[in-house]
Amino acid sequence: MPQQFMHAQNEATNQQDDQSHETVLAHDTAAVQDDALDAVLDDIESTLETNAEDYVNSFVQKGGE
Amino acid sequence: MPQLRDSGDHGATRQFGMSPQFEGFARIFGVETEYGVSVTGAGQPVDAAQVAMMMFQPVVSRARSTNTYLVNGSRLYLDVGSHPEYATAEARDPMDALAQDLAGELVMTRLAVQAQHRLRERYGDGVAVHLFKNNADSAGHSFGCHENYLVRRYVPLETVEHQLLPFLITRQLYTGAGRVVGDRFEITQRADFLDEAVSSATTRSRPMVNTRDEPHADPDEFRRLHVIIGDSNRSQWATWMKLAVTHLVLCVIEESARLGVPSGLECCALADPGEANRAVSRDLTCRTALLRLADADGLRRAVRAVDDDDASSISPLSGDTAVTALALQRYYLAVVRRFMREHASAMDAAMPATTATRIVAEWQTVLDSLEHGDTAALASRVDWAAKRRLFDALRRRDPGIAAAQLERLDMDYHDIVNGRLYPSLVARGVMTTLLDDASIKRAAETAPADTRAALRGAFVARALERGSRFSCDWTRLTLGGDAHTEAVLIDPFDSESTPEYRRLMDLL
Repeated sequence: MPQQFMHAQNEATNQQDDQSHETVLAHDTAAVQDDALDAVLDDIESTLETNAEDYVNSFVQKGGE
Repeated sequence: MPQLRDSGDHGATRQFGMSPQFEGFARIFGVETEYGVSVTGAGQPVDAAQVAMMMFQPVVSRARSTNTYLVNGSRLYLDVGSHPEYATAEARDPMDALAQDLAGELVMTRLAVQAQHRLRERYGDGVAVHLFKNNADSAGHSFGCHENYLVRRYVPLETVEHQLLPFLITRQLYTGAGRVVGDRFEITQRADFLDEAVSSATTRSRPMVNTRDEPHADPDEFRRLHVIIGDSNRSQWATWMKLAVTHLVLCVIEESARLGVPSGLECCALADPGEANRAVSRDLTCRTALLRLADADGLRRAVRAVDDDDASSISPLSGDTAVTALALQRYYLAVVRRFMREHASAMDAAMPATTATRIVAEWQTVLDSLEHGDTAALASRVDWAAKRRLFDALRRRDPGIAAAQLERLDMDYHDIVNGRLYPSLVARGVMTTLLDDASIKRAAETAPADTRAALRGAFVARALERGSRFSCDWTRLTLGGDAHTEAVLIDPFDSESTPEYRRLMDLL
């Protein structure tokens, strides 16, 4: 279970680990995630309104490794 | 690409004269990222190479070169006609390397925003500069995110190929960034672009892994492992995992080479790595594609010997010569766990901020999530899973959505300047982050304190302050002008100033 995992993890890691880094090991329920996902879809609506082909085709770049 | 020179393997450790880090499990980590550039909204096509030059104009006017080092010890580089590139300063810990990688995003974004501003003056407010931290453009050109690991000299390249490569191919289950390819979706960005076969890293033009002639360290002690098969990640967790888990596997390989005993990973060799790579990339179930082994009997025997709770799920069935990617990852995990029974403390001592236990816990969790198809858990950490989950939700909302829209969102996900998708996933708590903005900003301003980067960063900072001409490479600091002076820093682990360095700093 996620909560148990997080506590066990905190015991196992050293103090410096906990203090110096923010680690989000939280594991939301599916329902909460779905609401959040809907919010993301709302956020990106305006992105979808502009021309997709133009956007995609504008990115052409040779010379990589 | 010329044959790599191999200056010979050292079978036994020379006790006398080796640097303190030669023993033990200390590692230097580095990530080099090439960024894609595009412009939209100008009303006409704008050449990517020109925009990249425009981005680098402040760098060029300051450094008189498109290749320069920054106050945080990292390297900023623009090859003519190529991609802006950022290479992180040397780090001893995956978390520090992550911070430096994210600092690179910050540095690149600032340059892009400046260029965008100038383009808007010319073409109007609708102009947007896009900087893609990804691995493919729309025309099939590919570019990379490469990892660097300092590896002890006595590990032969062939050993790395056979024992590490299957790990690198299968880790993509959780490190893959995903890519929309027409109507399909793949787990990795690069599988279609990497060479068909990796029979020998020394002869292929685009191998999945090789070693560099220049280790940027004492070549009698270390070589630099250059991992090419890796996607550019937006997920901070994925970047961290790439480095952290690969490090654990390297510890196992190094120790076995040091002692001249088997590592237990010999049997992981794949019959056809290129084929396996494409199979992994195309299997969205993560549990179906079978990867042909070079020594299936060997793996079966090794699995029996590993004495691990997960062993039963690993073993290829009797008579089978193939195994799933997930099973192979579980086997690597089991071998690492067994290795840690004896070496965990030494491994922990080598990393300033991360423990091997923590890495293994994350590794275990993600493999379990893959096993159980836990989409939400995967989507919070794994780039390809995040994209796929979002695209599925999008299709539910709009069943007729055009493939081009998904391609566009796929790119937007990687746009660090004007992308909306990834920031929204983070802001809405859908995707996990490991570092806050303050840590990232700090990493852009300060080099890691426990590597040679600290010396380079301090030198660059003072030289910039004084307006002095300077240049660097990874092992050398040079003061230009009348006082032409150099300091050589051969040991990447060493952050202590030398007399040569102090002399250089005094001249500034």
